[in-house]
Amino acid sequence: MGHGRAGCKGGAGGIGSGGTEGGPRGFGHPQGRRVAGFAALFLFAAASVALGVLIGSASLSPWEVIAALLGGEDQTTRSLVIGIRLPRVILAFLTGAALGLGGTVMQSVLENPLASPFGLGVSAGAGLGVTAAMAAGAFGSLLMPVAGFAGGILAVFLALSLARAMDVRTSSATVVLAGMVLSLFFSAMMDLASAMMPEYAQRIALWQMGSFASKGWRGPAVLSVLLALCFAIFQGKATLLDVLSFGDEQAAGMGVDAPREKRRLIILVAALTGAAVSFAGIIGFVDLVAPHIARRLFGASHRRALPAAALLGGSFLVLSDLAARTFAAPREIPVGALTALLGAPFFLYVYVRGRGRE
Amino acid sequence: MQAANRANKAKKARRAVSKRAYAAALAVSLFASAILSSCGGGDGGGDEAGAGRTLTDPSGKKIAVPDRIETIAVLAPSLAEIVSALGLGGKVVAYDSSSADVEGMGEDAAVLDMESPDMERLLALSPDILLVSSLSLYDQENPFQTLEDAGTCVACVPTSDSIEDIEGDIAFVASLLGEDEKGEEIIEGMREEIDLYSDMAKEAADAGAGEKTVYFEISAAPDLYSFGSGVFLDELITMLGAKNILSGETGWLGVTEESVVEADPDVIFTNVDYIDDPVGEILSRQGWEGVTAIENGDVYYIDKNASARPSQNVTKAMEQMAGCLYPEYFPD
Repeated sequence: MGHGRAGCKGGAGGIGSGGTEGGPRGFGHPQGRRVAGFAALFLFAAASVALGVLIGSASLSPWEVIAALLGGEDQTTRSLVIGIRLPRVILAFLTGAALGLGGTVMQSVLENPLASPFGLGVSAGAGLGVTAAMAAGAFGSLLMPVAGFAGGILAVFLALSLARAMDVRTSSATVVLAGMVLSLFFSAMMDLASAMMPEYAQRIALWQMGSFASKGWRGPAVLSVLLALCFAIFQGKATLLDVLSFGDEQAAGMGVDAPREKRRLIILVAALTGAAVSFAGIIGFVDLVAPHIARRLFGASHRRALPAAALLGGSFLVLSDLAARTFAAPREIPVGALTALLGAPFFLYVYVRGRGRE
Repeated sequence: MQAANRANKAKKARRAVSKRAYAAALAVSLFASAILSSCGGGDGGGDEAGAGRTLTDPSGKKIAVPDRIETIAVLAPSLAEIVSALGLGGKVVAYDSSSADVEGMGEDAAVLDMESPDMERLLALSPDILLVSSLSLYDQENPFQTLEDAGTCVACVPTSDSIEDIEGDIAFVASLLGEDEKGEEIIEGMREEIDLYSDMAKEAADAGAGEKTVYFEISAAPDLYSFGSGVFLDELITMLGAKNILSGETGWLGVTEESVVEADPDVIFTNVDYIDDPVGEILSRQGWEGVTAIENGDVYYIDKNASARPSQNVTKAMEQMAGCLYPEYFPD
């Protein structure tokens, strides 16, 4: 019952023991400490964004960047900072926040600490949509993100329908299974498309690795609205999410129609993740790790874990993207390849250090 | 127990997705390195063909060349162009799908895939000579062993990057097919054309034209790809009296937007042909407004085949670039 269950409560969901706040050890932490913690997180996020804007592969000093932001410097510098760097950093932050948020909700809804929005077919579906758009010659236009978004949503709808057909109660296990099957199927279709159209194969592969380059302001505009909306909804349902993480039977006992609520939440996550992926490609690891670190630092209660995961995910992706475009300048490393490279040691550090404290 | 199963399933699904991403990353880097890599020598074809001479192909493999060459199969567009220029297109019985535009290829020739050619078809055709580049050998050391055992002479010409290597390829193919003189003619012609355009560039420089900086893109946003030194395009640009903004790097590379914008090239070339309006796409890039080339509209498309295939036709690309850099010398 309740606390001892292997779920998402308390710390690194089920793997470790209780977290730093809430959970089996009770609610003993002072309010002030939580506020301070969040303040620190906000500062960290702001610092990450600032670093992202101030540093780049172009050799501009921080003062030049600030001057450019304020309208000074020459046309080239201004264009570079405002037209290239700024939208890129903002997109990276919003994507990271979206993925962190999506990961948190998904892990709770599916009662699985390793669940990911991508596991339901969003990434494979989006990939297929983007491939189809490329094949139709719509490379680089608005059709690509739209097709990607549509593909992602379609995939999740199919996964949910499949799960429902397999199991009326749409238990989490069924949903995961259906999602996996659909993911593999859509991925296979993408591979087939790559093989049949070898001229697109490299571009499809590059898109899959994820990049924040040359996306303009379309992505940040769309994503900010979607993110704000989803965040408001998820935060409003924070208690519901807490209840859901106890399991279906528990939830039913508390008067919650778990299957229906879960479907709604999954669709929202799919929309959010689908949008993120369709602009930036598939960037893994953030959706898995941001929620875990958020819970470990701020406790399992969704009221705190949700915003924490969003801020952490955003900062992490901004810093990863910064690395991707500066480590080997003028070369650009695909950011999707870097996130796990940078994230895994960081995750281990937080996890091991947290473990040591218990 | 159930939770562990679920965790395992989710783990597998997640691994499948990230495995795909890493496989994709690996595939792309393999593709990129295949351009620079050698063929990874085979175990030296046997002498069963009852051959005359023995040659060493550019990948270092010793091959036994048949006395009579009636049928040729070629699986790389640059090599097809060389064969065609040697006047032997009529003997081609099979070529790869990218070479469909090369002139003079045999009428009823089979069209095969460059990276994984239909081996049964090739065996049925049993050509006297098979010409491949490193792109056909990325999978195994010698996928054409069965063909060699059946008597085909398989010659591997790794994809060349420098002009010197291109000339070497032409000389080798000419020698292989018994057209040494023609090969020399082609190389001479190439050198003459190159000299013609570099002299033009010198004239312009003497007339006070100044050195223009150039950025040559081979892949459009958001995955910008270009090249540094050691690549024939870079050599051509240098011989035209201009400077590649990435000449400090070597080989082919993906670049960050910021680096290009900061370098502020005077002229931008692109050979991207997979979108409708590559020049328009570059001109409308957000954040690039201040770049000199964009401001002056000096963004040009260079013929894809001429600039992507390491053959004697790279001079066409040079001509186009010269025309864009020194329009005064080209009245049209």
